[in-house]
Amino acid sequence: MNEYVSNPDEAKEYWGRYRYFYLTFFLVFSVFTMRLWYLQILSGTELREFSEKNRIKQNKIIAPRGLILDREGRVLVENLPGFEVVISPQYVDNLDSLSKAIAPILGIESDKLIQKVQKSRRQNGVFAQVKLKDNLTREEVFRLKRIRLETPGLEIRESIVRFYPMAENGAQLYGYVGEISKTQLPLLNEFYKGLLKLDQGDIIGKNGLEEALEKDIRGVDGITFIQVDAHGRETSTATPNVYGEQIKDQEPVHGNNAVLTLDRDIQEAAYKSMVANQRIGALVAMQSNGEILAWMNAPSYNPNEFSTGISATTWSRLINDQFKPLRNKVIQDHYSPGSTFKPFVALAALQEKVITPTTVVSAPGVFMFGRRPYHDSIKGGHGNVTVFEAIEESSNVFFYKMGIALGVDKMYNYITPLGLGAATGVDIPREVSGNIPNSEWKKRERGEEWQPGEDLSTAIGQGFINVTPLQMAIAYNTIAREGEVVRPYVISKIIDQEGKVLKQNFPRIVRDVTAAKTSTGIQYSKETFRTVKEAMRRVANGAKGTARFWKIPGVQMAGKTGTVQVMGFSASDIYTRCETRPILQRHHGWFIAWAPWDKPEITVAVMAEHACHGNVGAAPIVRDVIQAYFQKHHPEVIAGAIKNKAVSQAKAKSEPVQTQEGE
Amino acid sequence: MNLSMNLEDRTLFKRIDWNLIFVIVALNIIGLINLYSATHGPNARDVEPLFINQIIWLAIGWCVFFIMTFFDYVIASRLAYAIFFLNLMAVLWVTFFGKVALGAQRWIDFGFFRYQPSETIKLALIMVMAKILASRNPMGRGMGVRELAFPLIILLIPFGLIVEQPDLGTAMMIGAIGGSLILFSKIRRVILMGVIVLGVIGIYGAWKFVLRDYQKNRILTFVSPGNDPRGTGYNSIQSKIAVGSGRFFGKGFRKGTQSQLEFLPERHTDFIYSVLSEEHGFVGSLTTIGLFFMLFTIIIRIATHARDKYGALMCMGVLCYIFWHMFVNVGMVIGILPIVGVPLPLLSYGGSSMLTTMAGLGLVSSVAYRRYLF
Repeated sequence: MNEYVSNPDEAKEYWGRYRYFYLTFFLVFSVFTMRLWYLQILSGTELREFSEKNRIKQNKIIAPRGLILDREGRVLVENLPGFEVVISPQYVDNLDSLSKAIAPILGIESDKLIQKVQKSRRQNGVFAQVKLKDNLTREEVFRLKRIRLETPGLEIRESIVRFYPMAENGAQLYGYVGEISKTQLPLLNEFYKGLLKLDQGDIIGKNGLEEALEKDIRGVDGITFIQVDAHGRETSTATPNVYGEQIKDQEPVHGNNAVLTLDRDIQEAAYKSMVANQRIGALVAMQSNGEILAWMNAPSYNPNEFSTGISATTWSRLINDQFKPLRNKVIQDHYSPGSTFKPFVALAALQEKVITPTTVVSAPGVFMFGRRPYHDSIKGGHGNVTVFEAIEESSNVFFYKMGIALGVDKMYNYITPLGLGAATGVDIPREVSGNIPNSEWKKRERGEEWQPGEDLSTAIGQGFINVTPLQMAIAYNTIAREGEVVRPYVISKIIDQEGKVLKQNFPRIVRDVTAAKTSTGIQYSKETFRTVKEAMRRVANGAKGTARFWKIPGVQMAGKTGTVQVMGFSASDIYTRCETRPILQRHHGWFIAWAPWDKPEITVAVMAEHACHGNVGAAPIVRDVIQAYFQKHHPEVIAGAIKNKAVSQAKAKSEPVQTQEGE
Repeated sequence: MNLSMNLEDRTLFKRIDWNLIFVIVALNIIGLINLYSATHGPNARDVEPLFINQIIWLAIGWCVFFIMTFFDYVIASRLAYAIFFLNLMAVLWVTFFGKVALGAQRWIDFGFFRYQPSETIKLALIMVMAKILASRNPMGRGMGVRELAFPLIILLIPFGLIVEQPDLGTAMMIGAIGGSLILFSKIRRVILMGVIVLGVIGIYGAWKFVLRDYQKNRILTFVSPGNDPRGTGYNSIQSKIAVGSGRFFGKGFRKGTQSQLEFLPERHTDFIYSVLSEEHGFVGSLTTIGLFFMLFTIIIRIATHARDKYGALMCMGVLCYIFWHMFVNVGMVIGILPIVGVPLPLLSYGGSSMLTTMAGLGLVSSVAYRRYLF
């Protein structure tokens, strides 16, 4: 059958050699047995003692995260000491009596406590500590400490709780902290390679600044080496242990602090005004050099609830809220700009010489394009207007005509360099880019040709245009600065615990659209900007300005209102009163403005969702924020204006008062 | 026809070596009980699923075992070169593109399974070496330089690649298995002396030029573990405490403080035997070692009765594979050998190791199945 059968005795050659193997086995078996005898029988008692008395366990000491401070060093985010109570089941003598003793203190039924411990025992074994309650009150800590001596296995641990003193105000900007998830852990360790090493159970920043600043404000956790005996008592590290030496603890290193450009005063004024006006939406205020002063979204949530472990009901309420309190609307939501887009179209039309500042255009109430009527914002229309009145009164028909004359591609070339259609690059994570369409974009994204009718909707800021409130602030700021686009930022510097500056951000001008040709091949003149600025000054100060009712004594704002339809309405419905509709069908209101109009210091953008109008909805909030800024930095301007007004009124009333004043 | 079938069935049943199977099953049971304890500590959620994985690997392992048993190992001999070559390609790939784990490249990641070719090549090497050595030395004079050249080259290729990975433990195992087989099939006395001299020089050379720092540290720490109690010496000290504190009867299932409180590193793989010793004491430790030596004796008996040299050599190869792993692993755990990352066959967690061991034992069973019945 095969070659092996032919020589049946060939394997017999080896027979004599197997004895070497038996010999080796005998030797090895003997050595192993002797060694095991030595370790387990002769040294067994001693080593058992080591294992029971000398359980050296490395315990992590969580390092505090750095604080987040405002531009003047006032606290925006800090750490508070907290306490939690845990039990180590293997040290507990009598679980029943222990749970009965602590149940009234914690306000949890003793049966529930026992269930909790037994469940953990089943799942994790007897050696896992079970956390019974965290965030203990002082009263609870005090009462637990008194019974601790009679109840082995009970332990009160210190913890650090991240605290946001301003609570809902600015929550989306700061973000929140929480335990790292199992799926995130490997991804984040890859991302922070060489900078941070995270472990399971670590608390990390989950959103906003807490996330963006992770590598800067995270501390270095310390380690303590704790010797615990079989009954859970800490033994002195001075006793000689198995290592024959003492082991030194590693102290935790406090994380570095972050200083923001934010101004707590302005932030609070903004919040106050937003709440007083009962608005939903987003607000961003910045200095005209790009330093952000205030940033908020409404409705909001309380990040302190995340620090202590958010409850399932609170979480589901937050994610199911129709007004999306968790979203950072300032940079994460797309909106149509509506009429606030008109100044950009005016810039393009002026620069492209479609019109001059003195060109008069007829703006009737209804404009027929093709076979479709396009309506103006007020029923009768605006009559014959120049660009100044068109912006001041927000004429639609004027801008329909500009849109037709320019066409979408020219509008695109002129408007994107102002800071729209691309992310602003602000130092907060997950910013969306917005969109300014052109014909090429439509072909690429939708596979369709650009329709001439779409030029009209584009010119009044509807259609395919998407912007974020921060982009609008930047683009308006570009007009205010006559062509200089700035980079917005929130993180001013990172300082260590001694106050030494480790990193610093400075204001930066990204580009100047009047200095050179932009990448879209256009260049503005300063004169164009000045014309539009004057028109926008009239919005807040002119006799027919859409925002004329919200003035600040002594300071002239310039800006533009906008009202955005959330859904399409039939022609008969267009002029029905917005306030009578269900809230989700009401228009969004915009107001974006800077001040003073000629030498800009501060720019504020407010998106008031479902507020019906840009003027009454958003303008008062913008006015309040700008007024708070001038009240703080130039109180004499406002005080002087109020005094002058009082004087002139008095003068008008009676001469004698004036003479008295003169004396 | 019917009668012959019955006869055939009866012989089939009789020809299987049941002693072999019983000892393996006994080790499997000990292994699973122990692995359950090692993977279900208080803070060990992440390793819990490994227990189920191991059961799956064990089931696959037994399938492979029986396939091997009923497969004529002569066919295995014909495929030996092809299997070896394919496996070598995998090792080559891992050496240069492999996934980095614990500082060394060892795996090919298939998602559900991390294949470690340096583990399976041990068995492929045994098959090839057995085939080559069976045809050498026909007169029983012992092999000279000319006969030795080819088997040595076959041994050194995977050895060199795995040193390069670098995975010194596995490379050492390959060297030990191949070397044992060569010695077993007898070499001339002059060459033996030469090998001893070269060995001494080789160890010196390896220390100077080949070993990485962490490997040297392990050996230095073995000599005096007190030097670095928080670093490399930690494992050695904790393992000794674990073994010793088990005393005569052990602390009980899942009650070993050293392992459950995570003082033991790598407790489900390389230090699985310390978990066993701590929780089941001298009785458990000795029983387990005893079962291993029973297994060795059974394998030698099968080799003795093998119908040809190839079969005998293959049995001895598998024997060396299990023996050397057990020797180095247990020796390390009980503190008489330096720390080397080598699994304990049938007890440590690991798919590649489990499959290789079960396949090897399947070959042994196949040799037993085709033995001469005296």
